[in-house]
Amino acid sequence: METEQLLHFGISLFAVGALSALVPVKTFRIVPYLLSLIGSLFFLSLGLILTVITPASYQALPASSIFEFSLRGDALAGFFVITISLVASAVSVYSIGFTRNYVYAGLSGFFTNILILSLYSVVLSANLFTFLISWETMAIASYFLITLDRSDETSRAGLFYAVMTHIGTAFIIALFFILYRFTNRMDFEGMKAGIASMPTAVKTVVFIFALIGFGTKAGIVPLHTWIPRAYPVAPPHIAALMSGLMIKMGIYGFLRISFDVLGQGPEWWGITVISVGAVSALLGILYGLIENDLKVFLAYSSVENVGIILLGIGASMMFKSNGLATLSSLALTAALFHVLNHALFKGVLFLGAGSVIHTTGSGNMEHMGGLLKRMPVTGLFFLAGALSICALPPFNGFASEWLTYQALLLGYQSPSVTAKIVSPLGGAALALTGALAAAGFVKAFGITFLGAPRTAESRDAGEVPLPMVVGMAFLAIPCLLFGLFPGPALSFLMPAVYAMTGASTTLEQHGMLGVGQTSAAVSPIGMLATMAAMMIAVMLFIRMKGGVRKTVYGDSWGCGTPGLTPRMQYTATAFTKPLRIIYKRIYLPRRDIKVQYLLKPFFVKSIHYGSEITPFFERYVYEPATRFIQAVASKVKLLQSGSLNLYLGYILITLILLLIFAT
Amino acid sequence: MGYLQFLIIILFSPLVNGVIKKVKAYMQGRIGPGVLQPYYDLLRLLKKDMVVSTETSWIFKATPYIVFTATATAAVIVPVVSTASPFSMMGDVIALIYMLALARFFMALGGLDAGTGFGGEGSSREMTVAILVEPMMMLALFTAAISAGSTDIVRIATVHPAAFSPSHLLALTAFIVAIVAETGRVPVDNPDTHLELTMIHEGMILEYSGRYLALMEWAHYMKQMILFTLAIDIFFPLGIAQSGNPAVLATAVAVYVAKVTGIALLMALVESTRAKMRFFQLPSLLGGAFVLAFLSLVTHIMMGK
Amino acid sequence: MKSWIEAFSIIDFISVGILLTAVTLNAFKSIESYVKAYTINSWLLASLVAVVAVLVGETHLYIAALLTLATKGIIIPLFLRRIVRRMRVTHEIQPYISNSLSLAISGILVAVVYASLKEGIFITGFSKDVLQISIAVILISLFVMITRKMALTQAIGLLFMENGLFLAGFSLTFGMPTMIELGVLFDMLMGVIILGIFAIQIKRAFASTDLDKLTVLKG
Repeated sequence: METEQLLHFGISLFAVGALSALVPVKTFRIVPYLLSLIGSLFFLSLGLILTVITPASYQALPASSIFEFSLRGDALAGFFVITISLVASAVSVYSIGFTRNYVYAGLSGFFTNILILSLYSVVLSANLFTFLISWETMAIASYFLITLDRSDETSRAGLFYAVMTHIGTAFIIALFFILYRFTNRMDFEGMKAGIASMPTAVKTVVFIFALIGFGTKAGIVPLHTWIPRAYPVAPPHIAALMSGLMIKMGIYGFLRISFDVLGQGPEWWGITVISVGAVSALLGILYGLIENDLKVFLAYSSVENVGIILLGIGASMMFKSNGLATLSSLALTAALFHVLNHALFKGVLFLGAGSVIHTTGSGNMEHMGGLLKRMPVTGLFFLAGALSICALPPFNGFASEWLTYQALLLGYQSPSVTAKIVSPLGGAALALTGALAAAGFVKAFGITFLGAPRTAESRDAGEVPLPMVVGMAFLAIPCLLFGLFPGPALSFLMPAVYAMTGASTTLEQHGMLGVGQTSAAVSPIGMLATMAAMMIAVMLFIRMKGGVRKTVYGDSWGCGTPGLTPRMQYTATAFTKPLRIIYKRIYLPRRDIKVQYLLKPFFVKSIHYGSEITPFFERYVYEPATRFIQAVASKVKLLQSGSLNLYLGYILITLILLLIFAT
Repeated sequence: MGYLQFLIIILFSPLVNGVIKKVKAYMQGRIGPGVLQPYYDLLRLLKKDMVVSTETSWIFKATPYIVFTATATAAVIVPVVSTASPFSMMGDVIALIYMLALARFFMALGGLDAGTGFGGEGSSREMTVAILVEPMMMLALFTAAISAGSTDIVRIATVHPAAFSPSHLLALTAFIVAIVAETGRVPVDNPDTHLELTMIHEGMILEYSGRYLALMEWAHYMKQMILFTLAIDIFFPLGIAQSGNPAVLATAVAVYVAKVTGIALLMALVESTRAKMRFFQLPSLLGGAFVLAFLSLVTHIMMGK
Repeated sequence: MKSWIEAFSIIDFISVGILLTAVTLNAFKSIESYVKAYTINSWLLASLVAVVAVLVGETHLYIAALLTLATKGIIIPLFLRRIVRRMRVTHEIQPYISNSLSLAISGILVAVVYASLKEGIFITGFSKDVLQISIAVILISLFVMITRKMALTQAIGLLFMENGLFLAGFSLTFGMPTMIELGVLFDMLMGVIILGIFAIQIKRAFASTDLDKLTVLKG
């Protein structure tokens, strides 16, 4: 099938899916998701083709001079299309099961289809206009999906999200203006010719605006604050889409502008991105560790992973500016591979969290426990996601983080001393975030799925409907497969890397990931095979030396006290309390202790203990900024007195001024 | 022959632990258990029935096997006496550390599975210590990797016969602190007691019995020996065999035994001359080691060696 | 002997040792540790001069080494110990910045020094490395002086700084002319003696040498 036909089929399937959601017939509920599933599969094949053949461009609507809506697929777009399709198809399957009892199923189906379509459209946009339209559609669709139930909580979160995303969009529009002004072209491909004549100062401004504007969507610290507010209130399939795919759109935009359009910049760009990535990753996971709500924790974990992706991108930029094209391609491969992997495992984790919340009615880890025995399949897939995100072999997270390490270590070959110091420090930061993430996910999986149930709801929980589980499988299985066989995944992104950096490296041979220059290699499948062999050997040995033994079941050891209750277990708060103490200079916790005495100071009636952690940038940046804006706004409000005469007066004055200054 | 070298780690790691215990005992004026005691303990445990808590899930029973096999795979990766093994291609330094991290992840999960306070405490503290140790250990290893040009352990072991440069020595010091922390020795953790205050590793494995306990203990011994071997490979691999020649191999084995004994004695010395630190004093100790590792990196950049 | 020194880059080891003693100054809390660190630092300094003397073969360097050892390595530490015993203080009061943080900042200072001096300076004399280390030592000791409150710690920081200056001058000129070096040494000695006497007198008069409390004396 021709790419154009695939594209048209895909778009129409999603459009029909969206419209079909509005039909208020109960049996029709699965139709929009079935259509989105098939649509994603069409797009998937489109993406696969795009990564093999050279760019193809097609126009979806007739053109007029500036405002033409045209789509174009090249290697980078193709890779992102594949990523989107994989996650979207899994989420569609999951939604088939989830929306059976979901009250807002109709509107949800409508907006979901539009959202997914806009994701594709962002990635396939050929010019600034298409990009902006798709970007806005994405924001609007996700806003509606978050605030469907119109409750206070969701409205507030939705408003915060809308404001933040538009601040970012403002920067993006500004940088688009600058680009158009200097190159007189609206389309990305045609712009590249005019970039050479752009003065370096302007290029720097474009770079910074791109970092801020796309960074808001991607979720770099301190622009990430909408993420932990918006993801928890979103329904699970939406949260998976947003976290797995939407924040990658920020990455896509940043790559498109800084790598493709701007071409090459000075070294400090790359070093800035590495630093931003490291700080973002560290702060993201640090704030996530103290959260007890599963979804908030996962949201912060997304911020962390975006930081890791930026580490790879920054390293790639740094190498590119020093002319080390092969190293640049290695770093960019690591970053793009992590984009794909994160979409996959974050999708699994959010879907799993959604299932858990669906059955227990609460997102707070402190209300859960022992769910693995009651929801075995969901738990298993969640475990797979957790192992992947902690970069443990042989899953895919390990492969992409390994490549990122290699890229950072090779940073030593750059000429400048700053680069030589920053790169290994980036590696140490990566190690630190890995260890922090591991602690967080031991807590998330352990407190939620292991131990004894802490509430009645978790005691009575049961496995979720089949489509939800199958949806998770769609994502969990590739996590393992791409970890064992990174070759196919790498082939999706190699053409994009070649287009961006001008070089490509063979990173995978015979199931081994390897870096040629340093002859460092790792073979996840070899390690898994060794583990399996050892398992057989040790089981035989135990049978030989120990014989057949029986297992006696009893209570957990409680130092001899009978009647251990679930309340005596370690709580989620307790699990990360040591970290809260160790990093208290970053957390700056506020403690509130109120004691009521019967007779001071010996007889205490009651003690009230409250502890609160507000991220420091919220306290020192966001709150003052908000107060400032409100102060200014209240002054400006004076202009709006409501009197018609005054408004007519404004018009008169404006006309007079125009007359004087325009002639 | 080179490809059987991992058996040295699997089979002799209990002996190393026995030696350390014996030396500690002498330093404390006792006679102590025999050096072969760990073997008797392991075999005895294998012959016992298992007691499993009703609260646990399949994770509890799977963890000992996963922990053991992951650690054993790390033992296969690391070159013990010879660099001419085909298995060393399977992973580099980073892969090795992450295999050990995989083991630790499941140990922590196993601790939480029984739903007790001890297990939770052990898991929480183990992950916290990992957070403090990993960046420092990685930075020290990175400095060595950078100077050798690769993270491949074989490459590092063949390029520098001995770490005779200031930056390497600084990195080695930091790495030794890391070994003390990762193997749960004083002053980070006390491997000999079962009091809540001093149980990090012991807390996580408290619920295990029978063959499960045997596997967990054995994996602990193996991890210790793997870290010793890694330190030897990276910082003073002098004498490691680079071919399959039997004479060369024999000398390599002798040299290796001598080095491991030396490190074991060092560990015993450190344990006997220090008191266990309060848990929240650990960030100062490990942070200081991080500064050492950072200095080693900076010194390497400046001096070029 | 010469080739052995060069082959094992003894100079590099000694200079890193000097740097290390300066960095560890941040980690200690007891005055006795400070004095020990200073002693080791001075001994390393003297051995560095001796090694260079062997490499270059000039006699005046041997004398300089012996002189350094005598004054900085033996006399001044002895004097410091006497002062400490007389003043009966053992530990530094809570510094302005915690020990771990100042340790980290010293590390960053070292990196900054290395990064900035990498390009451009044309150095005659041996080992640009030693110059970088000496500047790092100077900065670190200055930083220690800024963040500590006890007069005695400030004095020890000053002594470290002098060591660093000596090392810097040494690396650039192969040993400053002996006369100047002698002069500087005697000044240092006098300075320490006077400071010691003052410290004891201040303690007797005001019962404390905590700089925070001493600021009351202004105006």
